[in-house]
Amino acid sequence: MSNIIEVKNLVKQYKEITAVDNLTFDVKKGEVLGLLGPNGSGKTTAINCILSLLNFNEGSIKIFGKEMNHDSYDLKKDIGVVFQEVSVFDELTVYDNIDYFCGLYISDKNQRKKYVEDAISLVGLNDFKKFYPKKLSGGLLRRLNIACGIAHKPKLIFLDEPTVAVDPQSRNNILDGIKHLRDNGATIVYTTHYMEEVELLCDRIIILDKGKILATGTTDKLKSLANIEEKITIEINELDINYLEKIKEFKNVDDAAYNGNSLVITYKKGKNNLLEIMEYMKKENIKYSKIFSERPTLNDVFLELTGKELRD
Amino acid sequence: MIVFKTFLKVLRKNLPIVILYTTILLVFGISNMSTSENNMNFVASKPNIYIVNNDKSDGITKNLIDYISNNTNVINIENNEEKINDALFYRDVNYVIYIPKNYNNDFMAGKNPEIKIKSLNDYGANLTEMLLERYIQVAGIYRKSIIDENELILKINDTLKNDVKVNITSKLDTNSLDKASYYYSFASYSILACLILVICLILSSFNEEKIRKRTIISSTNYKKHNRILLLANFCYAFILWSLYVIVSFILVGKIMFSSYGLLYMLNSFIFTICATTIALLVGSLITNKGAINGIVNVIALGSSFLCGAFVPMELLPDSILKIAHILPTYYFIKTNEILKTLEIVEFNSLKPIFLNMLIIICFSIIFIILSNIVSKKKRKIA
Amino acid sequence: MFWHNFKYSLKTLFKNKPLIFWTFAFPLIMATLFNMAFSNIENQEKMDIIDIAIINNSEWNDNEIYKNSFDVLSSDDNEERIFNIDYVNAQKASELLEAGSIAGYIELIDEEPVLTFNTNGLDQTIIKLVTEEIRQTESVIKNLSEEEIQKEITSGNYNIDYESIHNKVVELTKEDNVRLKDISNSNLSYTMIEFYTLIAMTCLYGGILSMTAINESLPNMSNKGKRISISPTKKRTIIFSSLFASFIVQLVGLSLLFIYTIFALKINYGNNIGFIILLSIMGSLAGLSLGTFIGSIFKANENTKTGILIATTMFGCFLSGMMGITMKYIVDKNIPIINKLNPASMITDGFYSLYYYGDNLDRYWFNIISLLIFSAILIIISYIFLRRQKYDSI
Repeated sequence: MSNIIEVKNLVKQYKEITAVDNLTFDVKKGEVLGLLGPNGSGKTTAINCILSLLNFNEGSIKIFGKEMNHDSYDLKKDIGVVFQEVSVFDELTVYDNIDYFCGLYISDKNQRKKYVEDAISLVGLNDFKKFYPKKLSGGLLRRLNIACGIAHKPKLIFLDEPTVAVDPQSRNNILDGIKHLRDNGATIVYTTHYMEEVELLCDRIIILDKGKILATGTTDKLKSLANIEEKITIEINELDINYLEKIKEFKNVDDAAYNGNSLVITYKKGKNNLLEIMEYMKKENIKYSKIFSERPTLNDVFLELTGKELRD
Repeated sequence: MIVFKTFLKVLRKNLPIVILYTTILLVFGISNMSTSENNMNFVASKPNIYIVNNDKSDGITKNLIDYISNNTNVINIENNEEKINDALFYRDVNYVIYIPKNYNNDFMAGKNPEIKIKSLNDYGANLTEMLLERYIQVAGIYRKSIIDENELILKINDTLKNDVKVNITSKLDTNSLDKASYYYSFASYSILACLILVICLILSSFNEEKIRKRTIISSTNYKKHNRILLLANFCYAFILWSLYVIVSFILVGKIMFSSYGLLYMLNSFIFTICATTIALLVGSLITNKGAINGIVNVIALGSSFLCGAFVPMELLPDSILKIAHILPTYYFIKTNEILKTLEIVEFNSLKPIFLNMLIIICFSIIFIILSNIVSKKKRKIA
Repeated sequence: MFWHNFKYSLKTLFKNKPLIFWTFAFPLIMATLFNMAFSNIENQEKMDIIDIAIINNSEWNDNEIYKNSFDVLSSDDNEERIFNIDYVNAQKASELLEAGSIAGYIELIDEEPVLTFNTNGLDQTIIKLVTEEIRQTESVIKNLSEEEIQKEITSGNYNIDYESIHNKVVELTKEDNVRLKDISNSNLSYTMIEFYTLIAMTCLYGGILSMTAINESLPNMSNKGKRISISPTKKRTIIFSSLFASFIVQLVGLSLLFIYTIFALKINYGNNIGFIILLSIMGSLAGLSLGTFIGSIFKANENTKTGILIATTMFGCFLSGMMGITMKYIVDKNIPIINKLNPASMITDGFYSLYYYGDNLDRYWFNIISLLIFSAILIIISYIFLRRQKYDSI
């Protein structure tokens, strides 16, 4: 089917800072789009603009093929948002919170009751229905935050870093829930810092920095963008600087660096790289404890593209 | 030193609150000090009255008005029934006299005309009524035998000018002492509110679970840390007290430079210490920052109302004053009241004052012990 | 939708402890304190019996006019008794004065009374006035007697019956020539004003409720507001229903205050209970619009907004006499425009006019209309600000 979201030439300026700079992208039905970028890259601003919470300077936004406006209530009906900050009422119980926010979308009481129960099961808060948010742990609170955003079974869901500062158990629970939503046919826009999550969930990824798209595509396509094919890490206690220079001159080697206890060698391409380096070490009698080879991660891609780490 | 510095930083962040409270309280205090004179303060011996004169003739009417005016303060208000009623209700005037049309002629004709009045039925009103009645009485008696109006007026005035010789024995500047007592009693509210609010806010910052944990595990001796914190709090209290003393010098003036002034300062100093210990106790009890504002208002307003900081002690019901005995503010204000009428400053006459101060110090010690017990219990993180 | 949001707004407001403290508990505490502190003031305003001393020398005992007059004024049978008299010698009198157990003492020296006081005061003024009155009566008797005697002499009668002339004159002075009629309004208890300002404060503090309701509905003020903004519900519906809920909570708080003051503290608000309720509702409306106004036009965090609201309310109440009733009068008399703009004064003055002016309702209606205009203006301004749906920054 056609695009669920179409963003064209979106520009948003805060006084002197351009938070979103000529952004154009679209989201297809049923896909999970990952928005990736460091803090301050404009992810949340972009989402707020799409949701018509913020004025923007230029560009157009269409959702479900229609212009999105603050009074596009028919469109809003099918959108669910999980904000980065936990946004619930401290004065209401878990159940009441979900019921309240769900009630803003669905007026039929019986249907709502079912939806609220569904949402509670989805995030696994069955035992905490009568709890007040203050009594919930960080992970449970995040789950409540998600339940409030998706209880009305929206077709389009925005998840803005839903797993920040969450314990592993809750995180798995949340990710399972999101998979479940995806499997039920929802279109999802997902922002996060965590590579594993993106690699696990997302069909397509957009990398943002300073409000601009740096790259877009599937995980594999992005990885191929990085100028490296393989990364070999060797744990070595002592390494003469001369060896390092020598290694750098090997065929296929892009770069080599030693930080005091491990040597990292990146390769542009090639097959027997691991064998080659191991033989070299043996020959020079360099003692090492561990050695492993990896394919590049999105973090490496990101590093390559922006020159900085994704996670601060 | 680092604790002290941090204290100052947190204090600076809360400074707007201190300034706000102090200004508001000073504004309230100062304006009440100046407005209370014709209301709460019974020293003014001339009652305030208003005369509505519907009789424009000269003779007896004018003489009556002259006589009343000379012995009272005639307040200047609009001659409008609503304004007059407002003035009466708000104690701007104690008594209103309505002189009817043709009063002069009717009186001379022996008709004994009726005079309408409005009265608060308080001291001032009764005094005015006495003056009014006396004039009419004397005039009425003479009128029966004297027909000529001018002669009658002469006779009346001749009689009414018989006044009585009065000796005043006291050499006290009662006006200034009243002012000083009022100021310091009112200041008890400001001192309590400003100290408890700010100290609680600062302590709650320091005592916040995570920060407290950090402090306990740090290499600084926890006891020493608390001692410095205590010292910092007392420094703040001292500064606040100095501020209020300086203001009292500006407002009250000369009398503050006498031995009375010294006693006012000593008394308020001891009270400030006590208020600080209350603040420390409350601060160690409260964990919720949001509750501080409410608790401060209840404690400060409550003790000020019950102990006579707002309403003079002599006007409070006895039952309330009995309850007030359990509050340190009571002894502070009591001392201010004693100072107001203290004739001679010598050891014997000061005994009750020192006793009051001793009681306040005892209160402080109890509060310190209590807050120590509380914070010891809280030392271990539950 | 309206009722869905309404129901949950009620729930959140009632569960918000600081809010409930300021709008429910705090007025009750203040009412209790007022009641304790002011319950005695007006009794004190009435005249007490004044303790005095009289130097008991032979001159006093020989002077019938003074002796009799003071006897009457201190007699237990006299309903209008003013004095409680100690007859002592000079030394004892000055001791009593020093100790503060008498207001002053009287001594007759050469037929003239001399008063000795410690300080000036109302009691002292009364003693002075009474003594003067006696002296003046004495002078009237003397004057009249002389005149009578003169008359007798001019008419050629030298056989004068001094006794009967004296009696005749004394009789003359005893006749009551004074006719006064008290036309004061009956309700003069000014402690009522304190309670009125308290009600005004409660009404205006209710603004915190509507401010909270507004904050929770605005995306640039709270995250919950963001959620509401992205939902398909009209913002207008949400805001109206939240405000309605806050108004209901406000009225509940106000009713508690009325119930408590009427039944527990026995405050008498007069007979016009219907008008009183109407005025309270209008006052609450003014509070609601003040809260809405501050909530919607200031772009600041919630604490700052609460600070602004409380400071505004307290200052308004101060001007309308909460910290001393004279304040309202001083403002009314000197800068009336301020209290015409001050909602706390409109409420207080409305109550005052009901209580004091009773049947004449002009001033009451003036205040009611002022409150309505005040509320309308603030709500219109707020509406203009709230109509904005999108924000330049959140």
